[in-house]
Amino acid sequence: MDPMKAQQLAAELEVEMMADMYNRMTNACHRKCVPPHYKEAELTKGESVCLDRCVAKYLDLHERLGRKLTELSVQDEEMMRKAAVGSG
Amino acid sequence: MCRVVIFGYVYLNVCLSLTNMAASSTGAADSPASASAGPSLDDQSLQYSMILDHLIGDKRPVKELSPGVMGGLPVPVKTEEQKMIERGMESCAFKAALACVGGFVLGGAFGVFTAGIDTNVGFDPKDPLKTPTAREVLRDMGQRGMSYAKNFAIVGAMFSCTECIIESHRGVSDWKNAVYSGCVTGGAIGFRAGLKAGVLGCGGFAAFSAAIEYYLR
Repeated sequence: MDPMKAQQLAAELEVEMMADMYNRMTNACHRKCVPPHYKEAELTKGESVCLDRCVAKYLDLHERLGRKLTELSVQDEEMMRKAAVGSG
Repeated sequence: MCRVVIFGYVYLNVCLSLTNMAASSTGAADSPASASAGPSLDDQSLQYSMILDHLIGDKRPVKELSPGVMGGLPVPVKTEEQKMIERGMESCAFKAALACVGGFVLGGAFGVFTAGIDTNVGFDPKDPLKTPTAREVLRDMGQRGMSYAKNFAIVGAMFSCTECIIESHRGVSDWKNAVYSGCVTGGAIGFRAGLKAGVLGCGGFAAFSAAIEYYLR
């Protein structure tokens, strides 16, 4: 596949992917770090520390799983190609 | 089997995105019937690994990540010095300093007040009915106020510092932080008079903190 086409496609998909990731991350970290007892409007020290850690872990996870997925898809493409060449 | 699942997920996402977009440049969105066979090898196909490289792999573009870009509410960018000030004001050292100053003031007031109530100055054994002079009274009030102020300042700073450290470590804001730091503070104060006094101080101060937290929450 043409790398330029891949880049264009990725650019189009990226906006949606980023928005989706941001929404999921916000929801997950809010659910984990901010208990629903709202006594004051500001984030307390414990909550903000927890949110920092949550975001860092989420982005780290996102990157690692992305690399793993790319690796697996490369392997699978190789296998498919060999199978196609073998049968064709 | 899991490879097919992964491919199915990526393929489905790609298909949905492409069909949603009006201007589809590649035109390679094959029907889902070919999902089970994986990617075909003709030039029009989608090579997922390449797309993934550009999306989440090494070739992804460097983006300025801000909530406005990613779909949240646009927030004005904070300047570096504003961030530094906020970080300083949220830090444990600042909170401890604040508690120290507050404790000093409170202790001073408390000391002066109790000096007025519980006075034992100017007592002359030879003349028990002599009233103390104003200077003696003022000096007593000053000494007592200063001594109470120092004690309160130290206790306040220790309590606030330990509570902030424990809260940062746990990452949770609830009543247990105050109890733990009360135990540490009371233990540290009482430990100077021996182990048993330390344990007693820990228990007492922790109970006091728990009561205050219960009242506040």
